[in-house]
Amino acid sequence: MVIKDDAYYASRRQFLRTLAATGAIAAADLAWWEEPFLGPRRAHAAATTVRFQFSVPEPLRTSLVESLVERFNKSQKDIEVKVEFVPQAQARQKLITAVTAGNPPDCCQIWDNWLGEFDGMGAVEDLTGRAKEWKYYKDTLPIAWETVTFKGRILSFPWVVTNDAIYVRADRAKEYGIALPKDDWTWEDFLKTARAFTKADKNQYGFGMRGQGTWAVLYATEFMYGNGAQVLKDGKVAINSKEAVDGLDWYLDLFRKHKVTPPSVPTDGWRQIVEGFGRGVTNMYLHNSGSSEEQKKFVGAPSFVTVPIPLGPAKKRATFYFSETLTMFKASKNKDATWKFLTFLMDDDQHAHYAKTLGLLPARKSIADRPEFAKDPALAGFIKSFPFSIVSPYLAYAGWGGKLDSEGVPLFQQAMVGKLTAKECLDKFADVLTKNMM
Amino acid sequence: MANQQATIAVAAPRPLISRHTREILANYAYLLPAAICLGGTVLFPILKAMHMSLYHHVLIRPQDYRFIGLGNYVRMVQDPTFWLTLKNSFIWVFWSVSLQFFFGFLMALLLNGQFKGRAIFRTINLLPWIIPGVVVALIWEYIYQPNYGPLNDLLRRVGWMREPVAWLSDPGLAMPAVVLTNIWRGIPFFAIMILAGLQAIPDEIYEAATVDGAGVIQRFWSVTLPMLRPIIVVATATRIIWTFNYADLIFVMTSGGPANATQITSTYTLLQAYSDLDFGYAATLSVILLVIMLVFTALYLKLTKGVESVAG
Amino acid sequence: MKTRGLGDPLERFLGGPVLWTGLVLATLFALGPFFWVFLASVKTRVELYATPITYIPVHPTFQNYVDAWTSRLTPFSRFFANSLWVSSVTMVATIVISTLAGYALARFRFVGKNTLMLVFLATQMFPAVLLIAPLLSQWHALGLIDTYQALIYSNFSFTVPFTVWMLVGYFESIPRELEESAMIDGSGRFGALLRIIVPLAAPGIAATAIFAFVSSWSELLFAVTFTSQTEMRTLSAGLLYMVGQYEIQWGQLGAGVMISTIPVAILFTFLQKHLIRGLTAGALKG
Repeated sequence: MVIKDDAYYASRRQFLRTLAATGAIAAADLAWWEEPFLGPRRAHAAATTVRFQFSVPEPLRTSLVESLVERFNKSQKDIEVKVEFVPQAQARQKLITAVTAGNPPDCCQIWDNWLGEFDGMGAVEDLTGRAKEWKYYKDTLPIAWETVTFKGRILSFPWVVTNDAIYVRADRAKEYGIALPKDDWTWEDFLKTARAFTKADKNQYGFGMRGQGTWAVLYATEFMYGNGAQVLKDGKVAINSKEAVDGLDWYLDLFRKHKVTPPSVPTDGWRQIVEGFGRGVTNMYLHNSGSSEEQKKFVGAPSFVTVPIPLGPAKKRATFYFSETLTMFKASKNKDATWKFLTFLMDDDQHAHYAKTLGLLPARKSIADRPEFAKDPALAGFIKSFPFSIVSPYLAYAGWGGKLDSEGVPLFQQAMVGKLTAKECLDKFADVLTKNMM
Repeated sequence: MANQQATIAVAAPRPLISRHTREILANYAYLLPAAICLGGTVLFPILKAMHMSLYHHVLIRPQDYRFIGLGNYVRMVQDPTFWLTLKNSFIWVFWSVSLQFFFGFLMALLLNGQFKGRAIFRTINLLPWIIPGVVVALIWEYIYQPNYGPLNDLLRRVGWMREPVAWLSDPGLAMPAVVLTNIWRGIPFFAIMILAGLQAIPDEIYEAATVDGAGVIQRFWSVTLPMLRPIIVVATATRIIWTFNYADLIFVMTSGGPANATQITSTYTLLQAYSDLDFGYAATLSVILLVIMLVFTALYLKLTKGVESVAG
Repeated sequence: MKTRGLGDPLERFLGGPVLWTGLVLATLFALGPFFWVFLASVKTRVELYATPITYIPVHPTFQNYVDAWTSRLTPFSRFFANSLWVSSVTMVATIVISTLAGYALARFRFVGKNTLMLVFLATQMFPAVLLIAPLLSQWHALGLIDTYQALIYSNFSFTVPFTVWMLVGYFESIPRELEESAMIDGSGRFGALLRIIVPLAAPGIAATAIFAFVSSWSELLFAVTFTSQTEMRTLSAGLLYMVGQYEIQWGQLGAGVMISTIPVAILFTFLQKHLIRGLTAGALKG
């Protein structure tokens, strides 16, 4: 299938040079990236093959993963890792199909909110034993382990973690004479800033709200927590409490009443909110640190800052952690080989490079403390949010994952466009959650 | 006479399988490759889905897997979203196909004329058909983008729009918007089919009609349309079936939103299968779709006497 | 229509200004989005993200095409070859299979022939969504993942039924006497089919061939699900890789769309004569 000859290596290096030239990767780091592609490939006699599926095939990520995989393949000769790239939109579908057909990859990079589902299907390998004996077990942030632990079993490696914070166009704030948000700003400050940022004649809006996809519900929930709401209280679903309804009303009014958001909100997904900010159509948006590198490319690093989510009337706030994980599948026939590969990816160099390149935070504390993470202004808002970040409450039940998408999102969309009141929306949503607590 | 017959009959030994049977077997042999193809790719999964629809089969609850007979069907009947999607499906199919047909017909009439560069025009108008559906959806999603898409930009520049209209995010506009994209994509199909039909109508018939004093409109009504009827029936029938099942476009552009405004039964099935991971229910929806379309097609063909003309 | 006299003033009006206005409007509508994609494919990244929107690029570049064609990450040259192979084989095999089936349904007496025809059509009435999982396990069991065969066989699921329907009609419009006289002359039924009917039906067969080719060319779902290796990917699947998590690389996507569309368009320009004449007699009783 893949014949990696000299031409392949030469063109890989060429591509890496281009990436360095455009600033996508640091030129100083170029040597590290290129290293696996220098020199001829050693012949592998009877290598075990490990299939690794990776599902965010952008040029930067693809190069990164290929570099990492090549380094591993060259570092030893018993295992050969073959990476399979799948288009983002198809990744989950393809994995589900593969699992039901009995043909999943050996390991895969997936988001933590998919873990519950795959575990429910019985597809995921329990890593508790191996993880506890891994040399960096204690070095990994406990909260990172929390995102991948279900009913006491560690199901996956947390590779990188992130939480959510608000991106703000600092350059425009200066231009319009708007004060930059302080770390403990409130909802009133937020609304004031958003209003000041909204300039209809310039095709600019204050806040890029998200209406599509699972995170549309999560972002709304994060704001609702600011008003003291909770998803679960004493084991019961409490998302339709008075605090929650009032919180949601305030949040939705940004779109419905104050119009500080673009009109496309009900169908805006992650791509749209990132693009909106990147094109200068929105001047603030809520997202995880994964798009910080993109924004450095779009608007330039000096033009934006990140700040924690504002404090709500209850003087509370929360953002949700989530992690990108490395997961092994039960159906894998080469579990030891796969484990070797996964631990390799979690080793210092590889781990640091992956996290740095993508603007995500490494799950291992010793690496997260390195200056390139701890001192990056674009990551400041996220780091400052760690103290009040929690694991997404929606991960509590495996049955909730799909329902958020299929029933949660339409309910919130209906509330956005005014077909339902916030109370009706949350009552129905609470109903869905209660029915699917499994 | 009898001698000749006797001579011929005696010469050949009595075969094991009669000639008649052999002939019938040979006839069926012609159908065999097609049957294997369809059997191996479609018929088996359809049967499997029918089977699956009778079970409670949620992927994340394998321990709950059990036979529930018509349980899924009962759930479907009581599911308000299902009826909504059915209604949306009919709207989607009706407007898409009728307008694709209408404009495709006009296009065919235009392309039928004699003029220079006809081949180029024909090719250009075929292009929308060649791009994969998902890419068409992405392109049009970009075009409809309210704040940085070309449609609103152009409308604002000529002064026809002040506030940006969110084509895909407004529940009232979302369906018309995706229907328009579907029409764009589907016109070439009808244009080609009908153009073919127009080309086949012998000139003599037109000349005869002209001699009889028929004007342009008259000729169209009494010559063109009747001769095209079989093609129209086959084309519309197949198109209706395809459009009913067409999930890609809507799924990429709006995911069935906002608030299920563009959710049709086939996208709902997709959602049930891959978001809710409820394969039992998804199978049920597919079976119902199949039944609806079978009934519709049988009625449609009977009504328009389509099958008889085409398959004689 | 070809040699009508233009005496009637209404006719002249319809044949003149109406024709041209209609044609121009229709072509603009069909071409508009394409043109937009083409413009995107020759823009640099900076210009793609400029606000307000720019239409004509100030610094047009063909770098996107070069990147797409030669990139080892997304080698469109390879994708192109894959698509070409899969679509061509699908086309040829579909024609063979459908000619046999279509001929049989047109000529032979089958019990419940109408039902059979309806069954062919019924296979189209099933959402592809639920075909995927059973097919995947099937191909996996046969060891056909990441092969051309899986794609080709899967393509039959939508090419064969339609082509059978069209060819049935087409064969029916060819008089039976032709092969009957050939058979009396001593050739078998199959020989008659090959030597007499097929040449006569060549335009119709060409028509359905194009349909099979174009449908396979733009097929996406099967390609993404049944192949994992980059080398086996088709053009449609390759295009989808331009859709990233946070941005769509419109420059490269545009180039990819152009690369995948232009050849088919050229093919069609040459064959459109056959196509039109072919599809016609399929459904008419001439």
